[in-house]
Amino acid sequence: MSRWEYFLKRLLLSIPVLFLVITFLFIMLRLGPIDPVAARFGPEATGADVQRMRDRLGLDDPLWEQYLQFARDLLLFEGQSWVVQANRPVRAVIYDTAGPTLWLGFWAILLPLFIGLPLGFYAGLNPNSWGDYVASIGGIVWLAMPNFWLAVMLLAVLRQTDGGGWFGFDWYQLGPELRSITGTPNLDWYSISNVSVFDIVSFPMLTGMDWGAFAVDIKFILPPALVLGSASMAAELRIGRTAMLETINSNYVITAKAKGLKQRVIVWKHVFRNALIPLVPVITNEAFILIGGSVIVEEVFNISGLGRTFFLAVIQGDLPLAGSLLFMFTLVIIFLNILQDFLYTIIDPRVGYER
Amino acid sequence: MTIDDQHTNERPLVEVRNLQTAFFTEKETIRAVDNISFDLRAGDTVGIVGESGSGKSVTARSLMGLVEKPGRVLQGSSVRFNHLETVQEFSKKFSKRTVVVDSVAEQYDGSMTDLFGHESVDITPQFFGYEKPESVPLADILAAGYGDKLGLVDANDCIFITEGDTDTIQDGFVEITRLSGEPQRQMRGGRIAMVFQDPLTSLNPVYTVGNQIKEALRLHQGLKGKEATQEAARLLDAVGIPDARRRIKEYPHQFSGGMRQRAVIAMALACEPEVLICDEPTTALDVTIQAQILDLLTDLQEQTDLAIMFITHDMGVIANISDYVNVMYAGEIVETTNVERLFSQPKHPYTEGLLQSIPGAQTGDRLTTIDGNVPTPNEPATYCRFAPRCPKAFEECEHVHPTATAVSTDVEDHTVACLLYPEDMDTTAAVEHHQNKSEQTTVDTPQSSMEVNQ
Repeated sequence: MSRWEYFLKRLLLSIPVLFLVITFLFIMLRLGPIDPVAARFGPEATGADVQRMRDRLGLDDPLWEQYLQFARDLLLFEGQSWVVQANRPVRAVIYDTAGPTLWLGFWAILLPLFIGLPLGFYAGLNPNSWGDYVASIGGIVWLAMPNFWLAVMLLAVLRQTDGGGWFGFDWYQLGPELRSITGTPNLDWYSISNVSVFDIVSFPMLTGMDWGAFAVDIKFILPPALVLGSASMAAELRIGRTAMLETINSNYVITAKAKGLKQRVIVWKHVFRNALIPLVPVITNEAFILIGGSVIVEEVFNISGLGRTFFLAVIQGDLPLAGSLLFMFTLVIIFLNILQDFLYTIIDPRVGYER
Repeated sequence: MTIDDQHTNERPLVEVRNLQTAFFTEKETIRAVDNISFDLRAGDTVGIVGESGSGKSVTARSLMGLVEKPGRVLQGSSVRFNHLETVQEFSKKFSKRTVVVDSVAEQYDGSMTDLFGHESVDITPQFFGYEKPESVPLADILAAGYGDKLGLVDANDCIFITEGDTDTIQDGFVEITRLSGEPQRQMRGGRIAMVFQDPLTSLNPVYTVGNQIKEALRLHQGLKGKEATQEAARLLDAVGIPDARRRIKEYPHQFSGGMRQRAVIAMALACEPEVLICDEPTTALDVTIQAQILDLLTDLQEQTDLAIMFITHDMGVIANISDYVNVMYAGEIVETTNVERLFSQPKHPYTEGLLQSIPGAQTGDRLTTIDGNVPTPNEPATYCRFAPRCPKAFEECEHVHPTATAVSTDVEDHTVACLLYPEDMDTTAAVEHHQNKSEQTTVDTPQSSMEVNQ
């Protein structure tokens, strides 16, 4: 089996997984103690109103009909929100809230990748040096701070800097100016318009950038992204160090040295790629944590994103919205798993071969 | 033949003299290689045999400059690479690290006796194998690392010209124990290549075999692109891998163990080395593959006049491949001779024990072995390290350190470090002989004054 066949097989395997997830979501949401009618009207609703609402939401239809409807709505993202944004299509709700979460998630993956990983590799290349000790201890301390605590502390500290404060800098004034450090980022720094080619095909294209607003949004998202990525950053640092140490002491690196290769070539060609192999699942798995973490961080930083909307949908019994969001999270996770396998097949030629 | 050619032919390609490599751990100092000397000659195979832990691999790594912390090669050690072309090439590339020995001698105004009297020189002329101070060549002292403290050479000088000057080099050597940085890198692979013990892990799993061979070709022969691919295929073909053109595109895990070892050998040959160090290259392979690899090495040696240093613990392999054999025990060479004499007339009790331990040669129900294990050489040898396991040990073995001695006065080509020899002396005289010799040559280095010899 070639590596690409292996990859294709992996891709096809995710289809049954999707259906299992839909069924599981349906059972969980329907069996749960959630009453959407009560959530909408409050506990004092009268019998007739409740019955009318139950009919409208289809809660008295046969279960298999409800299941089919549920599955169809999930797959096409066609349901309607019941409670949180009553009667709005789920798709519109997701469209409104996905932007800030994607922006947050992007930076929460980028920061650990470009801070944690290089620090870990540095520590692994210089084991038992001062740099190694500082990076490793810093990693443990960083890992030990839970993100809900870190989020609150960071907010408190940044607020203190308003108009000077203890630290001698004003976060609000530093670089692009901010009026508030909590809230939802605007994300209106790009303009997209449809460009048509010979009036036959038209496709959306980035036509303008507002760099000032772009910078504001980056500065705005950095604190929550740092909090959200903190655990990943520490984990990547520590596993990066171990992976580097293990690879640098392996026989093929000594062979490469005995061949007379330059240290630079040894590290970048022979060590780096092998050290990345154990890191691939770490990096993709951290993206899963981001989904859970975003619920808390968005709540603390008051960002109206997917995580916060999901939290509201669950506590208010908004079954279609909660179901659709969960389904979307599942899609993201399946996609990340496939991405992980894809990265594996690229980095490690041994993947996919049966021995 | 010119005089210069004679010089290079007379002298061995690699001269190892008083090589000491120690590992400084918090608990103890392990003298993994303790004062050994031997030669490698072009076209010859020198076998190094001994049990696990006798210092064979550390010897190989010392020659490659691959001894890692906390280990290091100690002052007094010298490994000379007497290859005129290399000396000429290196002296051009690294002129700042080149020393003309004659001009150092001119600058130095004291006599050799003064030199040995200097406080930083803790050795005697006998250490270099000479009776009188004035007969010790200055090059020997510089190579062993005693010129740094005396201000004769810089700490990173490593190319020594013994005849001629920088423009017309007639003789000289590269001192391997003093190499570092760029010249060390160019020495590795290009001059001395190494094949490691475990073929399964010595190839990088994420690059094709061809890629890894081409890397060496590009580095040492400057071949690129199609030329390199062709040469890589030729090399794989030369080491007996069928369908080489297709195989160079495959990854190491698609090769069997024997194939991988062939690929590793091809990779070493791609560097076009003068010396090939094989550190137990056949230990991980089954017997038929082992025989094929040994034949391959013999053929390659005939074609390219390689000097091979072959490390193994397998007496059968040694008999098959080597011309000369050094038997190592606890960091020391206990017996040196040519392969025929070693098997027909082993002299050291340890060698006898090793030969008796070959399963095929034994009769009876139980296998004969040497009882016990190799001790960790963690203190200077003031006794015979083999004595506790030796069937022929007597009282003096506990107190006198045996030094390498000719087996008897009429045999030149056979030295042994055992108090029972020379054969033509009685035991008391022999013990006295060893005692005198070891007192004269022992390097009395307290740990504090041990210096990095690089």
